[in-house]
Amino acid sequence: MTGAPLRDSLYLPSECEIITVTDLTPGEKLFRIRRADGLPLGHLPGQFVQVSLLGWGEAPISVASSPTRDGFFELGVRRAGTFTSAMHTLKAGDTLGIRGPFGRAFDLPRLRGQNLILISGGCGLAPMRSLIQYCEDRPSEFGSISILYGAKSPVDRLFKEELAAWDASARFACSMTVDNISGRDCFSGSVGLITALIPPLTFSPDTTIAAIVGPPAMYRAVIAELHKKGLPSDRIAVSLERQMRCGVGKCGHCSIEHLYCCQDGPVFWLNEIELLRGAL
Amino acid sequence: MKTITPDRLDQFFSSLEPVWELRLPILLPDGTRVIGSLNDGPLALHGGAVSGKPTAAFFPQQSTLFTVTDGAMQEPPPADRPLFIVGFPPRDLACLRFIDRFFADGWRDDLYFRLRQRATVAGLSGYCGPGGSLISPAGGDCDLEFFWDRSNWLVTAYSETGRKIIAGLPETATPEAAELFLQVPAEFPDKNETLIRHASELLRTNRVPESFWAEIGDRCIACTGCNLACPTCTCFGVQDWRSAKKTERSRMWDSCQLDGFMREAGGHNPLGSEAERTRRRIHHKLAADPQKWGEISCFLCGRCDAVCPTGIGIIAVARELVARFR
Repeated sequence: MTGAPLRDSLYLPSECEIITVTDLTPGEKLFRIRRADGLPLGHLPGQFVQVSLLGWGEAPISVASSPTRDGFFELGVRRAGTFTSAMHTLKAGDTLGIRGPFGRAFDLPRLRGQNLILISGGCGLAPMRSLIQYCEDRPSEFGSISILYGAKSPVDRLFKEELAAWDASARFACSMTVDNISGRDCFSGSVGLITALIPPLTFSPDTTIAAIVGPPAMYRAVIAELHKKGLPSDRIAVSLERQMRCGVGKCGHCSIEHLYCCQDGPVFWLNEIELLRGAL
Repeated sequence: MKTITPDRLDQFFSSLEPVWELRLPILLPDGTRVIGSLNDGPLALHGGAVSGKPTAAFFPQQSTLFTVTDGAMQEPPPADRPLFIVGFPPRDLACLRFIDRFFADGWRDDLYFRLRQRATVAGLSGYCGPGGSLISPAGGDCDLEFFWDRSNWLVTAYSETGRKIIAGLPETATPEAAELFLQVPAEFPDKNETLIRHASELLRTNRVPESFWAEIGDRCIACTGCNLACPTCTCFGVQDWRSAKKTERSRMWDSCQLDGFMREAGGHNPLGSEAERTRRRIHHKLAADPQKWGEISCFLCGRCDAVCPTGIGIIAVARELVARFR
């Protein structure tokens, strides 16, 4: 069991206020939020919250900011259905409900002292950003850090300014790719699948850990490339997306065989789930 | 141990109503036996397991999480009286024990225990099964138990609350009756126990091919009757109901046999075929739950087999599975 409910009852959301809303892409927004009681969310990188909109229900959203950034937390939200469409109509000063944080975070004690390869695709960069920011704020705790990011097109990239800053920073080695590019796009990265970014990497499997967050179709191909480089499954962390309805291991919607993604995950070591049907 | 004669049952239960919210097997006009109140129909203790999910008393089909009226959030008020539920045969008691454990594990589900922790549960056993067949006594897992010895109900209590409830009964069972109660468990073998364990082993050792699930899945019409009747099915969805002045958030039973059960907003669906969904229903009870909880979560109540229009309840599937792959 990880995380902590904000209220006595598991199912009562706590009021939070939206501080700012920023467009990330034409279909994705970043919500900066604070708890109405002024307390920190208390999350760790990789955890998620159940966002509650009265009249619309709830949806699980990963926290996109690091707990090292005080006074707020951020959620990156793609407009994909009725709930997220309703969320996209919210503006600064509006309120919403939050339950959580829930779930198993990235294993920071195991990540400390290791060289990290942080691989994300599409809106998977939002949860990964929580870990990237954490590493950015505590640089002495980790070895070298490579950021690999793939998006459909240059305009679909999330956090463009931060990507540029990470790319310019000596702390990170960044590689970016997009599936498609048009003549009008200004983009200096490569064109192709994210799997093409892995073979050029040079790393020692004994001192390296990779973390992957992305669309379901991405995992197997990326994992195969990491395995080719000698990285074993117990050194690969994956964050899985499921449609959690409760966040507390009761509703059954996120079960993966005997595991519940909302409590046993969403971050798993690959060797824990690679043989489980439907996990990847 | 006490004894109560059949003609005094109604009076006995009615006398408890000022203190308890009574739920017990009753007969509906269409002949169905369900758990209800004495106002819903005549008492019907005979006939074995009732229709429908007996654990619905604590995990109702729909439960209000909260309502918001004019911006004020309110939780549903607690019930005036605690529940006293009669009518759980031993297999249903095993189901209740299983979901008690499920809802208590990790995050304790306060919505479930709001009803469950104040409740008193009475088991039902003896020669009151279908056609007068024998139902083995539970001997525990409940607060008190009613055992039909073909003439009277022998009543024994296992908890302090149970003892208080039957304290007013004047009759005391004879030593011979008590001995009958104690001797009965040894007389209760069930071939389905062996069957379900064998099926579980086949699943846990990956000896069931994909083609089997495609075949069984083809027979599923996604009516969800299996999930809705199963006492250990606990999946639910969450939905908001809006009216002009009030919004109510509820949870309600859901079914893993529906295409949208796991479908994500982005379109990814880990249970995207009938074969996957059918496998999940059986595999969860016979392989996933044993791995997580150390026991099979089907206690052979037979409800899914009784309600399934196409004959793919869990016992039927287990029988087919064992016949073909052992």
